[in-house]
Amino acid sequence: MGALGKPIILMVAMYAFLKFGLPNIPGSAPLPSSLIFLYLLLTAGGIFMFKTLSGESKDAFWDPIRRFLTGENIGGLQALRYGVFILFPLLVGWQTYGSTAVSDLPPTESRTIHPAPPGEYTGLSNPVPKTPENIMQGKGFYAAYCSPCHGGNFDGKGPAARGFIPAPANFADPTTIAMLQESYLFWRIKKGGVGLPIEGAPWKSAMPRWEVELPDEWIWKIILGEYDGAHQSPRTWE
Amino acid sequence: MKPANRIMKQVLRGGTAAIAAMIIGGASLGYAQESVSVRATLLTGGVPVDDPSAAVWSSAPPATFPMSPQVHWQNRIQEVTVKDVIVRALHDGTQVAVLVEYTDPTQDPDDAAALEFMVGDKKAHFAHGQPMLQVEGGPVNIWFWKNKTGKAIDMSAKGFGTLKPQEHQDVTAKGVYSNGTWKVVFARKLLTGHADEDVQITAGQFMSISFAVWDGRKDAVGELVEKGSQKAVSSWWYFRADAPPDYSGYMYAAIAAVLGLGFQFVLIRKLKKGQ
Repeated sequence: MGALGKPIILMVAMYAFLKFGLPNIPGSAPLPSSLIFLYLLLTAGGIFMFKTLSGESKDAFWDPIRRFLTGENIGGLQALRYGVFILFPLLVGWQTYGSTAVSDLPPTESRTIHPAPPGEYTGLSNPVPKTPENIMQGKGFYAAYCSPCHGGNFDGKGPAARGFIPAPANFADPTTIAMLQESYLFWRIKKGGVGLPIEGAPWKSAMPRWEVELPDEWIWKIILGEYDGAHQSPRTWE
Repeated sequence: MKPANRIMKQVLRGGTAAIAAMIIGGASLGYAQESVSVRATLLTGGVPVDDPSAAVWSSAPPATFPMSPQVHWQNRIQEVTVKDVIVRALHDGTQVAVLVEYTDPTQDPDDAAALEFMVGDKKAHFAHGQPMLQVEGGPVNIWFWKNKTGKAIDMSAKGFGTLKPQEHQDVTAKGVYSNGTWKVVFARKLLTGHADEDVQITAGQFMSISFAVWDGRKDAVGELVEKGSQKAVSSWWYFRADAPPDYSGYMYAAIAAVLGLGFQFVLIRKLKKGQ
């Protein structure tokens, strides 16, 4: 095993782990290729530093590279050497073309999904008692006003949902209402898509501004119905 | 020199694998998004401004957009006929034509369709540029076609209830119904000179577009099922008129490749001299 054998095996193993190993760990997800590239770059940097620590290891690391590039006693690898010389400028050209070409993709939109509410909507507690009657009434209002988009099963898959981007929130998903306070829901229901702040850009939410049509008490009851129907609990101050 | 050869082989194998990995990784970045934009293909001849069936439409890539009932504002509707619109566009540097195609089982006098564009730099809420509470939004320009009149109305709005026809009518439209499908072509000049009320289309730039469709069917008592705000709507999507082809990328690539080649020569010369 030469001085370059181990680093190459390490790089290949690292790539294989990032590309095929990591996504299979429960709770993980496939890494974007740009991130894999960055990790490989860091690995290569680490190997390079390690290999050039002492004069001896540095020579052992560089010598085969130098000999390959100069073509000194490499016998049958000569053809591959020329192959690399042809491939390298082509790769440089290709990369340059890729980075200067005008993108066909529309502008990217990064949206803060749960932007901070205005001050007056933080920390409000639900004034409607959580009684079976109120929950039932809330579910009734939900069925009439919310379910066309948010779905009869509270899953965001109502019949009117298909054309809307962002998609109506799925309340059964633990990353929606389960991590929000009732006060936050009150704000989003009351003000709707047009009430989003700057960081909620591009403000495409089709959520109606329900304060125009529904009394506050109904909204608080809808909130009770939503949590109950989606089997979630509001986030509270620990 | 057997061991050296073996080492070299390992180097090359590793290098090839690394390059292949980079190519595979880099290539996968390319096709990330679905058809989120309408691309107006550049033509050299004139655009078929009044012919939704012209053969040249097949040269424009179709983009499909899902529709929802308009639930954002009163009077809302909870179910609509049209579930998707297929959109194509063409331009010749002066005129732009947008073809909207959708399935509608019946042809009715009140069948109608519209395009909506953001006007100016400020983002508009998709629903007629409905004013936002914390953000200053912009107005919208609406190109509205109705089967009954057979023509287009060029309109402006900034929120529901503010829709009104413009003084300058710049848009034409023509609809053809066949086999349960409407094909409506809207056309206008790319630039109109009324930048405060009309969308100005600059080739190569992305702008925002949305769609609306009304099924002019009547119910059992003779009432229109879809009318006014009771319509099928889409979210905002992107529209771009293709810019003339730009070959400068090839030139930069060639320069970079030559520089890469030069770098190789210098490096090897230096290595051979033992520097």
